[in-house]
Amino acid sequence: MGKIKDILSPFTAWGNVVKEPVTIKKPIGREAAPRYRGFHKNDIDTCIGCGTCEVICENEAIDLVPVDGIETKDGDSGLRPMIDYGRCCWCALCVDVCTTGSLTLSNEYTWVSEDPDEFRFIPGVDKKSWDDNEKGWKKPEPNYEFYGKKRVEMPELHAEDRDKSFIEFVTGYSKQQAEEEADRCVECGICTATCPAHMGIPEYIKAIRNDDLEEGLRILYETNPLPEICGRICTHKCEDVCSVGHNGDPISIRWLKRYIADQNPSEKYKEILNAENIENNGKKVAIIGSGPSGLSAAYYLALTGYECTIFEKLPEAGGMMRYGIPEYRLPYDQIDKDINYILSLGVDIKYNVNIGTDITLDKLKKDYDAVFAGTGLHLGRSTRIPGSDHENVYFATDLLREISLGNEIHVSEKIVVIGGGNVAMDITRSLARLQNNKFGKVNVTATSLESEDIMPADREEVVEAREEKAIIDPGWGPTSIEIENGKIKGLHVQKCLSVFDESGRFNPKFDESNTKFFEADMIVESIGQGMDVEYISEEIREQIEFDQRGRIQVNDYFQTGAKWLFIGGDIIQGPDVIHGIANGHKAAIGIDKFINQNG
Amino acid sequence: MNNLFNWEPDRSKYPTVKDNGELDVDLSSHKFTKLWVGPNHPGITGNMAVEITISGDEIVQAKTHVGYLHRGFEKLIERRLFIQGFPTCIRMCVAEPDYNEYILSKSIEDLSGIEIPEMAEWLRTLALEMARLQSLLRTVPGQGGTFSLGLGVQWGMYLRDLISDRFEELTGARIYHMYILPGGVRGLLPDGFKARMEENLKLIDQFVINIKKLMFDNVIFKKRAIGVGVIKKEWVDQFGIVGPNARAVGISRDIRKDYPYLKYQELDFEPPIAKNGDIFARSTVRYQELIQTVDLIRQIMAKMPEKGDIKSPTPNVLHWKIAKGETYIRSESSRGEYGMYYVTDGSDKPRRINLRGPSYNHAMSLLEHMLINANISDVHAIMVSLQTCPPEIER
Amino acid sequence: MKDLLERLNTKYNLTDIKYQRDNLVFLTIGKENTIDLVTHLRDYEGFTHFVLLSCVDWIEEGKFQLTYFLNQPERKYDIAIRTMIDRDNAEMVSAHHLWRQITTYQRELREMYGINFPGSPGVDENFILEGWDDIPPMRREFDTKQYSEDTFFPREGRKTHDPASYMKEKLYPTEPTTDKVNKTDE
Repeated sequence: MGKIKDILSPFTAWGNVVKEPVTIKKPIGREAAPRYRGFHKNDIDTCIGCGTCEVICENEAIDLVPVDGIETKDGDSGLRPMIDYGRCCWCALCVDVCTTGSLTLSNEYTWVSEDPDEFRFIPGVDKKSWDDNEKGWKKPEPNYEFYGKKRVEMPELHAEDRDKSFIEFVTGYSKQQAEEEADRCVECGICTATCPAHMGIPEYIKAIRNDDLEEGLRILYETNPLPEICGRICTHKCEDVCSVGHNGDPISIRWLKRYIADQNPSEKYKEILNAENIENNGKKVAIIGSGPSGLSAAYYLALTGYECTIFEKLPEAGGMMRYGIPEYRLPYDQIDKDINYILSLGVDIKYNVNIGTDITLDKLKKDYDAVFAGTGLHLGRSTRIPGSDHENVYFATDLLREISLGNEIHVSEKIVVIGGGNVAMDITRSLARLQNNKFGKVNVTATSLESEDIMPADREEVVEAREEKAIIDPGWGPTSIEIENGKIKGLHVQKCLSVFDESGRFNPKFDESNTKFFEADMIVESIGQGMDVEYISEEIREQIEFDQRGRIQVNDYFQTGAKWLFIGGDIIQGPDVIHGIANGHKAAIGIDKFINQNG
Repeated sequence: MNNLFNWEPDRSKYPTVKDNGELDVDLSSHKFTKLWVGPNHPGITGNMAVEITISGDEIVQAKTHVGYLHRGFEKLIERRLFIQGFPTCIRMCVAEPDYNEYILSKSIEDLSGIEIPEMAEWLRTLALEMARLQSLLRTVPGQGGTFSLGLGVQWGMYLRDLISDRFEELTGARIYHMYILPGGVRGLLPDGFKARMEENLKLIDQFVINIKKLMFDNVIFKKRAIGVGVIKKEWVDQFGIVGPNARAVGISRDIRKDYPYLKYQELDFEPPIAKNGDIFARSTVRYQELIQTVDLIRQIMAKMPEKGDIKSPTPNVLHWKIAKGETYIRSESSRGEYGMYYVTDGSDKPRRINLRGPSYNHAMSLLEHMLINANISDVHAIMVSLQTCPPEIER
Repeated sequence: MKDLLERLNTKYNLTDIKYQRDNLVFLTIGKENTIDLVTHLRDYEGFTHFVLLSCVDWIEEGKFQLTYFLNQPERKYDIAIRTMIDRDNAEMVSAHHLWRQITTYQRELREMYGINFPGSPGVDENFILEGWDDIPPMRREFDTKQYSEDTFFPREGRKTHDPASYMKEKLYPTEPTTDKVNKTDE
């Protein structure tokens, strides 16, 4: 019986003859699933050309190419990915790793062209029919990351522990923390262009990952001889353009730099940096001012064998780094670590020497082969509002300098600071500490013309100042200081509507009906600083070019019209430390060229 | 009649055996013919060739040739970052790419101590069972195909396409899914996935009934499959036979049961076994497995959570380094033990990866052995019944 | 598993014992005792399933590591036996008599690494690489990319740019920078 069944049962398949066929009638044009990995799309306005897609592509199918109309600028390399579909395997790793999220895949999978070169194109630039296709592969969400999106938090002292003293409140990364933070870097190198000193940022971060901090220090010193200082107070423009910051926190580049410098003991610097035997070339350079630009110039000149002498007006070296930045942000011993290393290379420094009075610039010209001046901006600027000539109206820079010199300054119970930059925050936070020590409470208000979103101070400075109980009240323009019986009563302000006009010039507009009064018995002005170049004699001045607004003009190597005189630092660019360092480095190269051509 | 079907070749006259024990196959004697089956032959599973020497229509010598599809993936992965391995490795066996992804990802996780989220474990289990289902939908009727029973193959291919649709919406691709990656998987179930899957499974339920009538209750199939291509029980260890080929001789070995991985411990199943070790037994085991896989997919879909993380944090994939170490990860593919030997040396790339594919033993030493004395018309049937996948031999 | 290793330790000199999992142990043994140990495990300890024979190239040390993977199907555990052999004139005792599939493994290792297994059937026959005339390709010093660049010719016209150096060229060509190459390896 079984045999009969075995013969008959296959014939049941004939039942299918009367069934509807399951074949798809029109297979071409069938839409793929919403998650399908088809041809690439790229939002070229969001894309920054960081090249991470190229790095992760396992088939080397992606090239980064320049595109007409996309400009190379800070934070955007101007390059865009070009895909070679002869190599692409549609794995979409490029999409998943994309730092900005601009790269996606469409769900289009059919495309015919007779020209093989067409299968190599720049998505988003070379228009394709699927560019507006909403469907297709996108990076899965949430909690699907190829690198850490969250910054490793920097350990800090609590506001309560720090607001009475001037000890450093940022404690620095541990080894594990630094390596974890360094791991987040995608090594695109977009930051290098934005850094004024063009530091090898991805390279030194890589050195941290490899736990090769000596190599890290060597990389730092190639472009920056003040890493301890920059590692603490640099304005870190690099972090603003960090590609990882587009979808997450940018890498803590500054803290990582500090980590490298902190971990290398100063007594080993010479050995690590291979600076034990520098040959003297017999040429001499005078450097006026021991701020960042002067020190940087001295360092790179000394490395090349020049005999450098720094003339410093104040009793200690460092310029604004020592006398402008409060100790809680930048401890003096760390300044000394960087400076002492530069001095150890044979750089001579003469303190308490005032150029122009103690020794003239002409004499320097005679005695030295070249002169670099990085004298900075030390003169406070006044608002010139009524009452600003009162004796209890101070300049922030003056107060900060006095604090650093160890002199007692006038501190009263109610203080208003005018200004919204980093210097204003520095003096606000310093005064808060002094008030806390003197009166046991804080009553200091900082007010600026700029509203909160465009305040020039670093964001964390504002946040930390508030943590330390200072009041930050931005968006007000000062009109007058009220004085009664010779004593300051307070500051009148009016609402500032806009700071810049349409063409971007400084031209503030006010709402005169919206006013406010800040009570105070002491007022500090911190609205910018001016340069003091009295020491340059008329004769030399005639050779130097000034622009309409009185600014000194220099060439690419910071050389002035007086060929032997190089000027850099805050006077030319900035004001900040990292520009000073970059200027000094560039000027050192210029001085070397100048002297060699003359000789 | 019986004598006709159980005819054994008379080997008393030739080929003669030489003094050193080797067969004396002299082609110039005109008693033998050398024949190449493949590499371009519709009956060959993939890119390989069997060089057979026949006497009349029986085979006296057989030799498997591979190398038509060598792409050096193991070498290529040695030169790539850890994250770049999974899109490459899937090509080591195209029919079931997910197993490649799984063993590679699991090796990396094992060596760097990463635990994946529970949701990802369920999704991986689902993807692996779907891959098994796809593979069996081709292999089970494919055995009939070797006896010119092409109709079942058409049915299976249609259903396989439907599962490809499901893969497409889950993973973003139909063949090279690239779904399982080190640290987890690349997506949750899309909306309505389970309902659509269930529709497909219902069709497969019907297919299972139809294919039984077409193939297993078919006198021709039975005549050709029963007693042909017998694997003896003692060969299992001698030749390293695994998976359904081993289960068809009554040895119940299944990695999912013996070395539970992913979520198999939470699933209710018993690997089917058969006794006779012939083509029919292997086909039956695979047929039972097909039914079981459908059931497993239903179980998985019922038990898996609705939501959850799909990926654990990993180090930055662009400079992920793994300390020196080595591991072996195995999984039960539809062909049997599918494993990977993974060696790291502290750098950001693996030192060595080595795939252990079942076909490496089945299609080489075992097939060469089984084909001797077989009839020339059974070559494909025997080969397909071992479910060989040449890419995993040469990688 | 532990007591098995204790038993083995009395007979063999085992080093570098590492438990990768509870049921997977890696160990190293001298070249001359390897096949002896493999045979012992097969015949007396029930390691009847031969999983894999593989080779790892430690080019820096001038050694090949051969790994014999054995599985005990009853107790469900694995032993991976490592043995180090010299890279120059690499040669190992054949184990083809123990399991049939080892012949294939040894053919592959002969072809891909240049390790000889005297006496193994067909060990010198081409396995995968017909007409190969270069060094055994799985050796670390064989550079696949270099080989493909020398052998094949890419389609003309591809050129890529490194973002950092391109930005330098565009924005600050003359300024001092760190002279390290921006990209990491490859």
